[in-house]
Amino acid sequence: MASKKLQRIGIPLDLVMRLKRHGVYTCKDFLSKNQLELLNMTGLTRTKLQKLIEDVSKAAQPEHTTVLDLYQRRSGPAFFPTSLPSLDRLLHGGLPCGTVTEIAGPPGCGKTQFCIMFSVLSTLPPTMGGISGGVAYIDTESAFSAERLVEIARCRFPDYFGTNENLKNLCSRVHIYQESTCRQLQEKLDMIEEDIIKYGIKLIIVDSIASLVRKEFDSRLQGNMIERTSLLAKQAATLKYLAEAFFIPVVVTNQITTKIGQVTSMQAGQHETERKAVLEDERGFVTAALGNTWGHSVNTRLVLQYRDGDTDRELIISKSPVSPAAQFVYSIKSEGIVLKGTEDGSKLLDLREGDPCQQKICVKTPEQVKLCP
Amino acid sequence: MQRDLGSFPFPPHLKRKLSTSGFRIVEDLSDVKPTELSKELSISVEEALEIISTVKKSEPRSTLQRGQVRGAVSALELLKKETSSPGIVTFCEEIDDMLGGGVPLAKITELCGSPGVGKTQLSIQLAVDVQIPEAFGGLAGEAVFIDTEGSFIPERAADIASATHQHCKHVAELQGIEDQISAVEDFTPEKILSGIHYFRCHNYTELIALVNLLPNFLEDHEKVKLVIIDSIAFHFRHDLDDMSLRTRLLNGLAQSLIKMAVAHQLAVVLTNQMTTKVNVGQSGISHLSPALGESWGHAATIRIILFWKDNQRYALLYKSPSKKETTVSYQITKGGIRSVDHQQTVMDTMKGTADESDSMNPRKRLKPDDPDNG
Repeated sequence: MASKKLQRIGIPLDLVMRLKRHGVYTCKDFLSKNQLELLNMTGLTRTKLQKLIEDVSKAAQPEHTTVLDLYQRRSGPAFFPTSLPSLDRLLHGGLPCGTVTEIAGPPGCGKTQFCIMFSVLSTLPPTMGGISGGVAYIDTESAFSAERLVEIARCRFPDYFGTNENLKNLCSRVHIYQESTCRQLQEKLDMIEEDIIKYGIKLIIVDSIASLVRKEFDSRLQGNMIERTSLLAKQAATLKYLAEAFFIPVVVTNQITTKIGQVTSMQAGQHETERKAVLEDERGFVTAALGNTWGHSVNTRLVLQYRDGDTDRELIISKSPVSPAAQFVYSIKSEGIVLKGTEDGSKLLDLREGDPCQQKICVKTPEQVKLCP
Repeated sequence: MQRDLGSFPFPPHLKRKLSTSGFRIVEDLSDVKPTELSKELSISVEEALEIISTVKKSEPRSTLQRGQVRGAVSALELLKKETSSPGIVTFCEEIDDMLGGGVPLAKITELCGSPGVGKTQLSIQLAVDVQIPEAFGGLAGEAVFIDTEGSFIPERAADIASATHQHCKHVAELQGIEDQISAVEDFTPEKILSGIHYFRCHNYTELIALVNLLPNFLEDHEKVKLVIIDSIAFHFRHDLDDMSLRTRLLNGLAQSLIKMAVAHQLAVVLTNQMTTKVNVGQSGISHLSPALGESWGHAATIRIILFWKDNQRYALLYKSPSKKETTVSYQITKGGIRSVDHQQTVMDTMKGTADESDSMNPRKRLKPDDPDNG
């Protein structure tokens, strides 16, 4: 509780007034000052000040638990099943609740399809593998289609969604927010807590987190990038807070970008050889957008890509706290995402782990583009 | 003593009273009793006592012999201390060797690395390993895990805990030493998980408050031998526009942490993110470097950088007062951090139990229908 007002934590009123005169209103203001400054503001002796600092710290300190408690005292399921059995198995049962999952991929690869499918799943009752909750779908690209939502629901669960009542129920539980500027998005995220409580929302989707910042911040200007990075970090902190406070999964989608050359990993000794490698690899490669700092903010990163000379696509677990790197083949059908291969586990390709920030992503090859009408 | 009384940390009203009553330097206070001072300045007796004891504390003791600094410890004593307290092992032999026997106590160690390279994994591994019983040469301690990013997954900690339990059980059974077998009975995965104290900080204020109060917590929990902050960078990289304030707060944190580390003989492990630096001179070639700026680089005694190269994880000892710069490879398996080349020998010693050798093999572990993964 950083924004706790000082008068609420039971310190003497005259002290509160004296601190107020110096612009110190909350625990956050208080703890940002050093001891000498506080000494001058409060006029207390050192031992008394020490006690005061302790009291204020106590009011702002986070709760203590042990991991065992955390492990055993989870209310509700810790993972949100994706209805893709082999993916769920590797992820310990689905998308982890309380964390941020990112889906990155080239245009038209199925990012929005994943999001719409997750929306359907989360409204299902627990007996059918859902979590029976509402969805907050923040759509920044106007890519959401209610028609597609109904289609996926009908084709994937023909029995359950055979009746109009269940379909109506589904549609009324998916809440769409269309935001078109960074500022609106941040404001929405700050306010959405109310809606989560009001509508019983159990899944937050942001599709996509990248489009707005990439539109508004010109990457050629240096100062712009710093501002963009800090804005994204703020959004990430808000999303993480929401995920954790309500113990729900958060899904965001990300775009791709072309990187020229390799990012060298510091050291002077390695520098020479790596720079050579840069020259050899002039063509560059495609990887997830928004850069390195954003990469720290997501807990799980799923990468979608096209396959060479094939109409199927691939899903890669690129970063995950629980699963090794893995690769699946999927295709998009009218019932949503379908994994290829047998029921008991799709073909797992031999894949070596790599840096999630430099994961190469295959886009449509020229032949594939030609095939398109 | 000619030191000016104005240079002491007294509240302004006391300073004013002292100077108006003619107390200018330390010498003026040398023979004054608290009651006299309280009368003279018309302040309370407690305040007067505080002034006098603060001033006295700063005076050099005349009883000390010349040339000997107060509180000095000879290097011999330090050497004894350093060699007697083992470090916290990582379960990757190369990293342990690189650090000279694991993560050392009474020091700050910083782990820097790009996303997904294994900072959190290594932290969880250390939080588990610090609890290895003394019979196995461990510390039998506990750990404090301060999570600022929300990337701690209890299920993952449970995985690593049970793998460590299994490992110790095997070692005990192979060697057949009584002590170890009885120690492993107590060393259950549940016990390990309950030995990790978890705090989740949602902003930097909570982090500062927590670090302020940690000394009290450590007094109540004497077994704690490891404090982890994962990551120190996250909240300081947004939410703070004032760079000088950021530096000041970070330095304050580092100071309290090193004080704690020495006072309680515990290891402090911080993780840090990497940031992209663009060298304008070099035709826009960018490279990664640890976040939080250059001055933060002084905060940690030992700095390890984790990075990817050719789809392999590497750890680089970047700064250390006692070991030379080295790079070693490591890998992350279902059971936690392991060395890469060591795999084969571990498998040989583990022969006989099909289950365990299975989970020691990284290739097989990738199988999705592995019963352990379910």
